Amino acid sequence: MIQKTVQCPNCRKILSCSGSPGDVVKIVCTGCGTEGKVTFEKLVSTQNAAIEATNLTKVYGDLVAVDDISFTVQMGKVFAFLGPNGAGKTTTVEMIESVRQPTSGNIKIFSKDIKTSFNEVKEKIGVLPQEFHSFEKLTVKETLVYFSKLYKKTADINSIIDAMDLKDEEKKYYKDLSGGLKQRVGVAISLVNDPDIVFLDEPTTGLDPKARREVWEVIAGLRNRGKTVFLTTHYMEEAEYLADHIAIIHKGKIIAEGTLDELINKHGEESILRIKNCSSKNAVDVLKENGFDARTEGNGDVAIKIELKERVLNILSILKHECIDYENIDIRRSNLEEIFLKITGARLSGAK
Amino acid sequence: MNFRFILHDLHANIKTWLRSPGTVFWTVLFPVLLILIFGAIFSGGNEAEFDIVVQDLDKTTISEEFVANLNNISCVSVVELESGKNVTEFMHDEDKPVALVIPKGFNDTMVEYIESQYDPTIEFDDTNLPFNLTLYVDPSDQTTTSILRSIIASVIYQLNMNIVGGESVIGINEESSVGEDFDYIDFFLPGMIGFTIMTSCIYGSIERNTKYRKDGILRKLLTMPITRAEWILSKMLFMLFLSFVSTLVILLVGILVWGISIKINIFFFLLVIATSFLFSGIGMIIGRFVKEQETADMAGGAITFPMMFLAGTFFPLESMPDFMQSIARVLPLYYVNEAMRNAMIYADIDKTLFFSAFVFVFATVFFMVGILLTKWKED
Repeated sequence: MIQKTVQCPNCRKILSCSGSPGDVVKIVCTGCGTEGKVTFEKLVSTQNAAIEATNLTKVYGDLVAVDDISFTVQMGKVFAFLGPNGAGKTTTVEMIESVRQPTSGNIKIFSKDIKTSFNEVKEKIGVLPQEFHSFEKLTVKETLVYFSKLYKKTADINSIIDAMDLKDEEKKYYKDLSGGLKQRVGVAISLVNDPDIVFLDEPTTGLDPKARREVWEVIAGLRNRGKTVFLTTHYMEEAEYLADHIAIIHKGKIIAEGTLDELINKHGEESILRIKNCSSKNAVDVLKENGFDARTEGNGDVAIKIELKERVLNILSILKHECIDYENIDIRRSNLEEIFLKITGARLSGAK
Repeated sequence: MNFRFILHDLHANIKTWLRSPGTVFWTVLFPVLLILIFGAIFSGGNEAEFDIVVQDLDKTTISEEFVANLNNISCVSVVELESGKNVTEFMHDEDKPVALVIPKGFNDTMVEYIESQYDPTIEFDDTNLPFNLTLYVDPSDQTTTSILRSIIASVIYQLNMNIVGGESVIGINEESSVGEDFDYIDFFLPGMIGFTIMTSCIYGSIERNTKYRKDGILRKLLTMPITRAEWILSKMLFMLFLSFVSTLVILLVGILVWGISIKINIFFFLLVIATSFLFSGIGMIIGRFVKEQETADMAGGAITFPMMFLAGTFFPLESMPDFMQSIARVLPLYYVNEAMRNAMIYADIDKTLFFSAFVFVFATVFFMVGILLTKWKED
């Protein structure tokens, strides 16, 4: 808990209140009865921070596209900005890339304020914009050379081609590539200056599952090469597979943030153990007698809520002891889709 | 300003342009086709008919044969004017741009000359040669007068060939402010240069602003060290490259196919450069306000098509109704066409300077506004 001292704007009386980082606490002045709110800023570790965004807001007329969000991206990590279409992901990443001007708030990249030092930062970042298409009549290699020569510092293009597995395509025109290969080239373009931070804005949107997997492997390779990756996506599997840290954004606000385990532990339901085709109809009763929250589902499977994974062994030993046979078991824990549904009441895949 | 970035971007633009047959066609081959087609239409026989007023003061066999030969040309209709009537008044009253007067003594001089060629005892005063016909032209209708002038010249040439094997016995004494022979192609070719620079620069600028924005290339460049000024300069150099390539090709076709005599001077080069800046500026302005590429193409068409027809590219302004002439005089392409014609064909320095001044003012204004409106950043 943090103690905070504030002054009543009406009667100037000094008041104190307490709250946790990120809380907005209602306060009533003991002198004049004026009501107000006190915001406790989130504590963010700025040590090893690649990107620090503080109270970032973007307003278009009456629409608040990004609403006072703060977050930190640690160096060498994959940070996924997860949310449905229209949530404010691209607006946020484009404010960090200096493509859009924030209405208010601050952004620092490697501790440098981008308002004043973005030209210095440009050499250290690589960007793949959303729905990016390169020059149709340049080959893959020519495309990479083109973009690399617009930087002072350049990476070895042949190494990038090898790392992105584009050797067989290097002489093909960009226009002749499949959607997945175009995105791989897009990621490769973002690496031509050997950046420390790579911004990938919805890099797999519109790709088929196989192509999406291929791009995932490329992004996973970036983390292995020590790059910091800022990834925006509306695919929860993508964030689950790739991200070290996930921020879920909805209607311009970050509604949950943390590692996948932290998010599930904080916002998810308990894990469910499902037992398929039990040989005894008494299985639910037996488990209930042993203190488990068990029920029979519509298809006849037995579902048991489990808080700790060690309890799975207890359940299985009880079933064995009672000579109750079964076909197989399945343990399932909450995913990001369910967390999003629980917090917002909307589905991640269909929310606006 | 990083010139390495500029040259590198320019090189990539030229490379992709050369690999796009469609854009090469529209920039180079399309104007060539137009020149060949229009040149052929107005140089050879066609269905168009032009009136020539002829006042035959000689009324002899040779003069009548000459008039008959003229009348036999499919696109010419001879309007005979009685002797004693004022030629210029008739031209004005009947709206005829060209009149030819065959002076008295035409037949006698010819006969004397021919006889002197066969009989050395006959003395012939050579200072009487060439025996000139008088041609009256209306300088405000250059297209028709150019065409008719060349037709009359060819008939006289034929007559000279028949009489003395090519020696200039009969000539033309032109009563007009224009002292040189010009064909329609002379009129058309500078207009074609202006028109081609206009289309390639307007469409080129629009495409680079709309397509690159749609494809995320502008957003990508914004995050890179190349600056907006370097990028615009590179694109301008590319537009200049296109302008000079298409101009060179048009000139070559004009010279090699139609035998046009062209005066290459500093004004001509400056005009090509100013015209490129002018229309690139207009393209940048359109590209700023029209976001979708399809709509941008339509907007480009809405600007270029009326200008193409109204600004005196294909037909002289004087042949159009007064209200259309008034419209033309606010169109930048009109000043480009007139400046080009006076610089490279008529070699009229005063008119070149007059029209060029408008072109340079238009170029400065449109290009500056274009630069100010060209944004990479999103709102």
